[in-house]
Amino acid sequence: MIAYRAVFKAFDDQPVLAGVDLRVDEGEMFGVFGPSGTGKSVLLKTTIGLIEPDRGEVEVEGEAVRPGDRRNLARIRHKVGYVFQNAALFDSLNVWENVEMGIPEEELRGLSRLERTRRIWRSLELVNLDPALVVTKLPAELSGGMRKRVGIARAIVGRPRILLWDEPTTGLDPVNTAAVERLIEQLSEELNVTSVIVTHDIEGGLLMCDRVAMLQGGRLRFCGTPAEFRASDDPFVRAFADRSAAQAALDHLEIV
Amino acid sequence: MLARPLGWLGRLSRLVAEHAGEMGLLVGRSARALATFQVAPRALIQQIYVMGVQSVPIVVVAAILSGIVTSQQGGYQFQGSIPLYILGSVVTASVVLELGPVLTAIVLVGRVGARITAELGTMKVSEQIDAYHALGRDPVAILAAPRILAGIIVLPLLVAIANVIGVLAGMVAARLTVGLGFESFLYGARLFWHNWDLFYSLTKAVTFGFAIPVIAVHMGFRTQGGAAGVGSTTTAAVVFMLLTVLVLDALFPPLLLQ
Repeated sequence: MIAYRAVFKAFDDQPVLAGVDLRVDEGEMFGVFGPSGTGKSVLLKTTIGLIEPDRGEVEVEGEAVRPGDRRNLARIRHKVGYVFQNAALFDSLNVWENVEMGIPEEELRGLSRLERTRRIWRSLELVNLDPALVVTKLPAELSGGMRKRVGIARAIVGRPRILLWDEPTTGLDPVNTAAVERLIEQLSEELNVTSVIVTHDIEGGLLMCDRVAMLQGGRLRFCGTPAEFRASDDPFVRAFADRSAAQAALDHLEIV
Repeated sequence: MLARPLGWLGRLSRLVAEHAGEMGLLVGRSARALATFQVAPRALIQQIYVMGVQSVPIVVVAAILSGIVTSQQGGYQFQGSIPLYILGSVVTASVVLELGPVLTAIVLVGRVGARITAELGTMKVSEQIDAYHALGRDPVAILAAPRILAGIIVLPLLVAIANVIGVLAGMVAARLTVGLGFESFLYGARLFWHNWDLFYSLTKAVTFGFAIPVIAVHMGFRTQGGAAGVGSTTTAAVVFMLLTVLVLDALFPPLLLQ
């Protein structure tokens, strides 16, 4: 379970999150929508203490996130896998080394070479990559879609209980977008994790998620099920829902 | 009328305090990472190679040229007035006390410092630094500490090379330009030589070798704003490092040459 309580964050006196209250239940797949610059990624980053809220509190599985407390952060980050918007793979490390970084250090020390190989291999297979072909490659030698998959493999190799997805389909073509969305669903089921997905792809988010929220100007504008989102009579929500439906139709045409 | 300059002074003081505080924390956390053996030997060796071995050619070129120029200018000034063997002392003292450490540090600012800031800045804006945090790894132990330690190890070695090459180049140039024999040059060099000078030179090298990577890493970690941010931060870092080297250099004589 993740709880955001009155989370407030400002940059250069400009509030990005202006008191967000949200609760994500265990095992839930939760989508966060909203226009650019409305604080979606900032909200996600407060979950593991990458950004410290000016006010308010974030709680992960009953433990408050305290960005100044290294042990607290280590415990929280151990439970959470984070998929970055542009994968954020380490340029100087090959795919093997990148994915290996996802295994917590203390766990890594206790693993034999064979066990490590199994874990890394399995993670790459779960994201539909052929380990034999990619492990020695550097991130620069991979396509955008493959980089995203390696980023996902790195996030899941540590066997997290929660997965945070920051714009997982941004920059991908419709075919790869659909593939990554299928992957998110499949992984969330297979690994039985709680997922929070920040995305601009509203149609995809509505298909995948159990509940969704919409942020506007750093505040929560909507929170409910995809059916409630589609049926909402809030003009702001409607504008997003209608545009996403039109975009989905266009994407479908492009795939065909 | 005073409000504007005072406001500017206030902002400058705040910025200086902010940088100093952040660099202090960076140094403390790097020292802790080193003391608790969190720094991978492989990363340290790699940094020593990149910062040290790969810098040797440019350091040698700079040392040769500085030795030749000092020797030629000294020879031109001394001819007909002062015994020419004094040139040996002037070249040796100039190279060992000043040109060796400072030119090597400046070369390192351009070749290594700028590279570190640009590399870490790119990692910052592409969220790779955040990724280290998210994966429970300490970017200071992985990225900062090896670079800082490598700088402290590498710069004295480079300065030692620059000192030897600079003096030898000056000696050859003195022979070719003013006809001063090697023995006379070395006689002059020994005449006013103090072992303290070598200690002074290497102390400067250690100080610069510490300051350059600390500033470079600190600025890299502060980078914001995409590719343009990396460019402007790298430029600012180079200016910051050069000024620091020159200011530290100016502090050395009153502290260690009295």
